[in-house]
Amino acid sequence: MTSGVVFDIKEFTIHDGPGIRTTVFMKGCPLSCTWCHNPEGQSRQPQVIRSLAGERLAGQRFAAAELAALLNGQADILRLNEGGITFSGGEPLLQAEFVAEVIDLLKGVHILLDTSGYGNQLDFRSLVERSDLIYFDLKLIDREKHQHYTGCDNNMILNNLKFLSVSGKPFVIRVPLVPGVTDTDENLAAIAETAAGLSGLLYVDLLPYNMAAGSKYEYAGMEFKPDYDEKRPLNVNTLLFEQYGVKVNVE
Amino acid sequence: MNQQMESLKKRVRAGEHRSLRQTEPIQVLAECEAEGLSWPRRVARLIRRQCEAEQVVIGPEDRIAFTRTLPAVPPIYSPEDMARLTAGRTMHELGPISNICVDWSLLLKQGLLGRKQVAKATRERLAHDPQAVEFLDSAIESMEAVMELAARYARKARAMGRDDLAGVLERVPAEPARTFHEALQSLRFCHSVVWLGGNYHVGLGRFDQTMWPYLEADLAAGRLTIEAAENLLAEFFISLNKDSDLYPGVQQGDNGQTLTLGGVTPDGDPAVNELTRMVLRVARDVAMIDPKINLRISAQTDLDLLSVATELTRMGLGFPQYSNDDVVIPALVAHGYDLEDARDYVVAACWEFIIPGRGMEVVNIGAVSFPAAVDNALRDGLAEGEDFDCILDRVHGQVREQVNRLADAYSHLLLPPAPYYSVFMRGCLEQGRDVCEGLKYNNFGIHGAGSANAADALAAVREFIFEEHSLAPDDLLSAMDKNFSGREALRTKLEEQGPKVGNNDPKADTLLVTLFADLAEACEAYGRTPRGGILRPGTGSAMYYIWLASNHAGMREPEVGATADGRLKGQPFSANLAPSPGVRVRGPISTLQSFAKIDYRAICNGGPITMELSDSVFKNPESIRKTAMLVRTFAQLGCQQLQLNSLCVATLLDAKAHPENHKNLIVRVWGWSGYFCELAPEYQDHIIARHLYEID
Repeated sequence: MTSGVVFDIKEFTIHDGPGIRTTVFMKGCPLSCTWCHNPEGQSRQPQVIRSLAGERLAGQRFAAAELAALLNGQADILRLNEGGITFSGGEPLLQAEFVAEVIDLLKGVHILLDTSGYGNQLDFRSLVERSDLIYFDLKLIDREKHQHYTGCDNNMILNNLKFLSVSGKPFVIRVPLVPGVTDTDENLAAIAETAAGLSGLLYVDLLPYNMAAGSKYEYAGMEFKPDYDEKRPLNVNTLLFEQYGVKVNVE
Repeated sequence: MNQQMESLKKRVRAGEHRSLRQTEPIQVLAECEAEGLSWPRRVARLIRRQCEAEQVVIGPEDRIAFTRTLPAVPPIYSPEDMARLTAGRTMHELGPISNICVDWSLLLKQGLLGRKQVAKATRERLAHDPQAVEFLDSAIESMEAVMELAARYARKARAMGRDDLAGVLERVPAEPARTFHEALQSLRFCHSVVWLGGNYHVGLGRFDQTMWPYLEADLAAGRLTIEAAENLLAEFFISLNKDSDLYPGVQQGDNGQTLTLGGVTPDGDPAVNELTRMVLRVARDVAMIDPKINLRISAQTDLDLLSVATELTRMGLGFPQYSNDDVVIPALVAHGYDLEDARDYVVAACWEFIIPGRGMEVVNIGAVSFPAAVDNALRDGLAEGEDFDCILDRVHGQVREQVNRLADAYSHLLLPPAPYYSVFMRGCLEQGRDVCEGLKYNNFGIHGAGSANAADALAAVREFIFEEHSLAPDDLLSAMDKNFSGREALRTKLEEQGPKVGNNDPKADTLLVTLFADLAEACEAYGRTPRGGILRPGTGSAMYYIWLASNHAGMREPEVGATADGRLKGQPFSANLAPSPGVRVRGPISTLQSFAKIDYRAICNGGPITMELSDSVFKNPESIRKTAMLVRTFAQLGCQQLQLNSLCVATLLDAKAHPENHKNLIVRVWGWSGYFCELAPEYQDHIIARHLYEID
């Protein structure tokens, strides 16, 4: 029996997939995106959050069976309401073995994997196989820029995306629109080109930058250092996707 | 809602009509004393003089007439005489009968002339019974006064060249209503006069049931289009906001102008009709604090209706409040209500289930302070070295004592006569008996307040003292006595590591269930009251969640200091059914699961699960539908009542800092909604601090 660290469990997460869902936020992420709005998801260790509402510890260790029991207690309700469980983070792939074990213990409930795609292919396959729908983040196609803004190479991500398109699972590509970074015509065109023709792709979801991105850093004892101009108007160019015949949504 | 209604709403909010108010209340005491009138006749005289003194106000475009100009209800007894009359008796709240529900169909179907005929016939039959004659004469005098007031309005309308309105006013409230317009106008007059007579918390009943036949006939005959009907309804709703600042309440907005929609008919058939949906739509467009809307649903209610209702929740008015027929009706039946009556229930001013025209019930004679019961039991039991079961027995004993004290205080209840109110209650005119003498149902309601904090306190004690043995009883008691001063680590442990109600954690939830089982048992054990009714246990808290924590004069139980759930002295308790303030829960599913465990068959006085959802939840049709699913889940899980709020904490904080920018911000307070900037600061703070499900 494995155990894993979760930094939050939230119910009625209406933006995390179809129907009424409960989202499990796995703690720890290999990426360090400068625009990350969940800084408490980055470190794998539990950490103290100090806010106006007082202190609390973000990060709780669960045995797989324990987390599965908690989630199974809601499975009927989630199923009745066209929803299910979303595994998000942080990055679920970092704790793939644990997440897989939890999913195997769940009783017939829709699973959504919300991932950056950054993880080894065995882990990725293992979780994709167990999921009904995948939200796959795609941030930057340019390798150097990806390295610069997320601290990681995107090769593994693009490879996993290729695997995903032949896996037969339905998926959504989600693009966080960060002003001047990911919302350039160049990057959006490259994403559209990458997305074009991928089988299983339902649509591309563009997620406009949230000015509250930095709000949690101070509480987590971290510093928010965006190396882009937060206030610059976003370039929400959906036309580029339409030109490639890719269905696109703006959330 | 058309331009005309938008502009009417603006004028009412700006209070333009208030400049027409008379500055001084009228005087009736002197003539009552000079003539040596009895109490019922004084009430009738009061209503007559109030109606006579009302100045006729008709705006150039008004279609629903009546604007109150009298600033107050004058006394009919001197303070000395009132003290003599009520010596040794308990008066409920302000004294006059309040918070019962009229059967408005009596008015609409018979008209005041029809009701007067009934009174006259009974008077002939009971001519030998002076008490009946006095009551019936008083009722007749009141009805005549209302009809004369309406006649003055009709003449004025005629003089203004408003023949359309004059035609309506010449017909109602004297005659039965024939059209939707007449029904609304009749209701507006007769409802307003109840308030003029000093009674309060006057509701509008099963609005979609009583009014639909008139609207249906108009639509069928082509007299009204849907759009025209909506505008008429909007005007009626706006009119309910004209005089409400003159109505008594604990806080501005707590006036009990509620209406109930949906549910089933007395025969058990689905009762939802086109007017149900229209009321939800129009209330959304009007977006004012009155009327407050209750929607009866069940596990079978379709998502389309719940989505329309959610669109209203989205406005942030704090309503509709939902009641679950699957649970409420069996609970009422289990407490002695006939099935047909139980199916006909409405929600009172806040949340209590009452039967229109058939109840002279006092649904809120007070609240048991669960935190006080638990605190006393813990202090005594821990000092005696008792085990946890003995402490629970003590809690039960404490709850019983409190219930007995509350009920005993009402064993000498004195309800003043209300001959005009009686006109619209079933059987009063028919039997020559004032409503104050009782009706078919004469029960009292007692709520259990602060339940989540009390259950959390018990859960922490069981967990840390009796199971983990990580905390010594003396240590806990001394820390509580010191208000956790210097014991922050212990307080944090109690607050954050103890099991909490609202997380679907059996360790805390079983104790919540026990507290309400204790309350139900104590009410049942009390038996019949001198008024022949029972005690109805409920899950509401009204203002008690603040009062309990602040040594308010209105509370019988003493203030509770710091509590074993880590709550500091002076901090408020949970309101109604909600997790303790400041407790972090996973979200609404777990919270509903926690509160679904209460045995609602034994709890029939109501009291909602209170939830705030961030306003970001209501952004698009898909999320509206998901919220509708959440409401359906509430019913499917077998919970009893739900109060759902749309709330933005940032907006509330800004409103506190800059009230001038947020004059129209409406929030749900306990059983009612009010303007945030018009609430006392402690209520503002509680709303801000109340658990918010952060969803982004």
